[in-house]
Amino acid sequence: MEVTGRMIWNQFKVLLLCVIITLIGQRIGYGISISEAIPGMIIVLIICMAALIIKDYTPQLKFPAFAWASLIALILTMPFVPTSKFLLGYTKHVSFLGTTTPILAFAGISIGMKVAKIKELSWRLVLVAFCVFVGTFFGSAIIAQIVLKIQGII
Amino acid sequence: MESNDLLETKGSVPSHVRLYIAVLLIVIITELIGIHKFPVGPGTVVLLPMLYAVIIGILITPQVLGKSISVLQKLISRDEVDLAGAIVMISLLPLGVKYGTLVGPAVEKIVKAGPAFILQELGNLGTILVALPIALLLGLKREAVGASVSICREPTLGVIGERYGISSDEGTGTLGTYMTGTVLGTIFFGILGGISVATGLHPYALAMACGIGSASMMTASSASLATAVPAMKDTILAYAATSNLLTGVTGIYSVIFLAIPLTNFLYRKFQPIIQGKKEVE
Repeated sequence: MEVTGRMIWNQFKVLLLCVIITLIGQRIGYGISISEAIPGMIIVLIICMAALIIKDYTPQLKFPAFAWASLIALILTMPFVPTSKFLLGYTKHVSFLGTTTPILAFAGISIGMKVAKIKELSWRLVLVAFCVFVGTFFGSAIIAQIVLKIQGII
Repeated sequence: MESNDLLETKGSVPSHVRLYIAVLLIVIITELIGIHKFPVGPGTVVLLPMLYAVIIGILITPQVLGKSISVLQKLISRDEVDLAGAIVMISLLPLGVKYGTLVGPAVEKIVKAGPAFILQELGNLGTILVALPIALLLGLKREAVGASVSICREPTLGVIGERYGISSDEGTGTLGTYMTGTVLGTIFFGILGGISVATGLHPYALAMACGIGSASMMTASSASLATAVPAMKDTILAYAATSNLLTGVTGIYSVIFLAIPLTNFLYRKFQPIIQGKKEVE
């Protein structure tokens, strides 16, 4: 698909509104001053835009914008990178939980048309989640057991 | 319609305005309700604003409360529901950035962690082997892929939400595991951490297993493991925390490059065997 300035502009508007809603939400929920959080939110917004643009221009990579956003932030905050202190100083005023609330509100509205199906699946999804928990736990434990044994640590 | 076309504001400004107002109101209400925790056994039931937000979000759609309250349909109609689906993918990005800033400072630890820590990360794929067949037995279709691809914390929610859409069948599965983990995760892992000693696996190995990519679940499982094996407490807590940081860094790439392809591959193999009839992707 062709990347257009209009498309990027539309994505920017969505992000800007989400960031504003998050600023209000985290002020109410976590007492984070809006003016103090604005610089951090602007940094978040810039990284998000960079991630979207990289993704739009590299469709063949199949690497999601979410992963680009996370990777850019990770690289810029590694301890030996000069931007680390500066970025962490501002993004600490962006609440992790605060960013999740608007996402889940949008997500809730978007799955509203499937409510009958979700009702039908409900307990099954919870049961599967428990199987997921058991699987990830013992999968890791078994591999760790083998490697630690080979290394002679246990 | 392509999600980028849905985001076009020209000609649909009222629809955008209604949706953002609805979400802003939901956020204000849910943040006012705030976080509520109830201790249960070795863990805690955690009710976060995001949980109320997803519930209120579902409730205000046309097929739920909108069915009986026609005024609500004027605020949230089918158009706004479709638009919300397109916006979710973009609204996830700030979470991705925040997540990156939380794990960035931990990168050094990976280099120092040693082979056991790094290799056991692959064990997180064990979720697919255990949960996918069971999900198929329970009759789930493509939801099975989203639900069992990983423990479905924020990175998975972001990746699956973007690739398949949150309102897709895969997205529903991921959301199910995500929300279950958020509400009940610490209770489940609080119990599991303690009783896992009975398997005969070494407490150090179990300690690494506690780091599943969620700080609260790691804390619950390692604390209860340490209570069961008090002599090794310090090492258990240190191993669990390190492993959790590693999962935080590597988890997202593991989901993109290993877990999604593997889950889809196994779905194609198992689905016809377990459910008899082939389901198209």
